[in-house]
Amino acid sequence: MRQGRHLSALRTLWIVAILAFLYIPIVSVVLASLANTRYMRFPHRVWTLEAYGDALSSFTTWQLHSISLSIALSVVVLSTILGTLGAVAFARYDWRGRTWFQRFMVLPIFFPQPVLGLALLLTFTAIGIQPSWKTAALAHLVWILPIVTLVISVRFFGYDVAQEEAAYDLGATHVQVVREVTLPQIWPGIFSGILFGFLLSWSNLPLSVFTSGPDTPLPVWLFSRTATNYSPLVPSVAVIGTVVSALIVVGAGLLLWAGRRLR
Amino acid sequence: MTAEAARATDRPVILSLAGLSKTFGDTSAVKQVSLDIPEGEFLTIVGPSGSGKSTLVRLLAGLETPTSGTLKLRGKDITALPANRRPTALVFQSLALFDHRTVGQNIEFAMKMKGVPADKRKARAHELLALVRLSDSYYERPVTHCSGGERQRVALARAFASDPEILFFDEPLSAIDYRLRKTLEVELKELHQRTGRTFVYITHSLEEAMIMSDRIAILKDGDLIQIGTPAEIYRQPRDRFVASFMGEVNILRVEDGTFPDIGRPAPADAAGAYAIVRPEDLLPGSRDVTAEYAVTQRLMLGSRTQLHLASPSGASFVSEIAGAAEVFQVGTSHAFGFDTDRIAWVDR
Ligand SMILES: Nc1ncnc2c1ncn2[C@@H]1O[C@H](COP(=O)(O)OP(=O)(O)OP(=O)(O)O)[C@@H](O)[C@H]1O
Ligand SMILES: [Mg+2]
Repeated sequence: MRQGRHLSALRTLWIVAILAFLYIPIVSVVLASLANTRYMRFPHRVWTLEAYGDALSSFTTWQLHSISLSIALSVVVLSTILGTLGAVAFARYDWRGRTWFQRFMVLPIFFPQPVLGLALLLTFTAIGIQPSWKTAALAHLVWILPIVTLVISVRFFGYDVAQEEAAYDLGATHVQVVREVTLPQIWPGIFSGILFGFLLSWSNLPLSVFTSGPDTPLPVWLFSRTATNYSPLVPSVAVIGTVVSALIVVGAGLLLWAGRRLR
Repeated sequence: MTAEAARATDRPVILSLAGLSKTFGDTSAVKQVSLDIPEGEFLTIVGPSGSGKSTLVRLLAGLETPTSGTLKLRGKDITALPANRRPTALVFQSLALFDHRTVGQNIEFAMKMKGVPADKRKARAHELLALVRLSDSYYERPVTHCSGGERQRVALARAFASDPEILFFDEPLSAIDYRLRKTLEVELKELHQRTGRTFVYITHSLEEAMIMSDRIAILKDGDLIQIGTPAEIYRQPRDRFVASFMGEVNILRVEDGTFPDIGRPAPADAAGAYAIVRPEDLLPGSRDVTAEYAVTQRLMLGSRTQLHLASPSGASFVSEIAGAAEVFQVGTSHAFGFDTDRIAWVDR
């Protein structure tokens, strides 16, 4: 079984390499946040949590998070509702123009985001709308809604439609059919849609840069401060932002799990 | 008419179809079907693929609205009544079990929709499990952990749980292997007898229909072309289509008072343009119509042997005889014949 041992050693090495590749950048951000100088020199002469203290006591940090959160939550709510309805139209009902709808709907995903962002900014100003976090949310929606719709559509193709007819035949009303069959079946898709929507919006830079106006979402602030005015405050805010989004995702997962257990 | 058929027609009509039609765009899937189904009947609808069987049964279940025609349940017009308010249940070809639920939840679904309390539902579900011969331990099992035959029974129990007056079956056994299908056919027939409900069963296998049904209706291109007891359809098919649908048969054309395929005179009292002769009626030896045939194939069917024959003019025939029939080796020629009173005459 020498060969088996070699193979399993190789596999372990492979997994470690992949994980290192994924996590070294993140670890280096954390390391950078523990310095007290603007210049990266490793190892640090002074290890300090000073930057975190600054970040947490600064009003900007809170504002960045609340703007990003407002955008992401609006995007999640709207894209989940519209995406579910769109998925029904996409996957289920046979109507004239469905093929065209299917093609046009995914088109925004193919536009380079900066082009899309610029185009949306021009449109907003042309029709006289002041850019703010709300326009940024709308811009995110243009790009994220197609993705969420596709993610939910996949579930519609994943189960036997006759189940809905069977429920109806067994005496369920249309509302009961949706509650008892359709929703439980597409629920995993909706959940992934919510996750995708949140994470894609939370981390979006190219659309926000153009469309958020005076409101600054987290990634835009990180980008501009890295480019022009770097200090350990930048990586520390980045780490805080990552922790916040991770907590939100884990929290949603726990809620879901608790909901399942209760039922 | 047999005694059984006579008894069937004495019973009150439960479902009555009058000129029921359904068109999709420019295809007419079901054309002007009229039919009375007596209470407690096991009616089988047979037809080749695309003949409109599923469409017809979906019309009856209320999952499809007819383009024209009316449907009456015990004399009451239910044409416009939606599926969820009809006292009928359909067992789907795919079974359509709720695969995110357990066996028990599947069976209880109809009762839950009616608002039956949980303890009553559970008791009834256990009764139904027993009815379809599944042990109580299946109650908690997810349906995805059941075998094909078990899923079949769960679907049946789920349909019975809605306490339907009529059960429809859309080829529910088509995806199941031969031996299990035979077992389930027998169980279904038994269940029909035990429950006394009306069953409308769809299949494309006439063999299946023969075994189970009180009456068989034959559908072709959306038309109901013949309906009768299995014996009637077997003895007197309406045309060559029905005859060949019943299994392998010999069809002899009549031309100017002769059978050109075997070069023998046709009987003077020929009652149609084609003579249908069943394989078990074309036998070795001299009979009313006898000719020489060459054996081209010899197939053992357990206790019987099927012989594929060719007449001197090259037409193919089938004969089925008892025993191993060692003398009828491939390549040998023998006299085979049939009696004229065994012929079924058809015009088309
Ligand atoms: N929803 C629909 N839209 C358009 N045409 C349909 C629809 N349903 C059925 N048809 C057509 O109606 C005809 C009858 O179909 P149906 O499904 O009733 O046949 P079937 O006898 O059940 O066939 P099979 O044995 O293959 O299940 C076919 O030509 C089919 O293409
Ligand atoms: Mg069908």
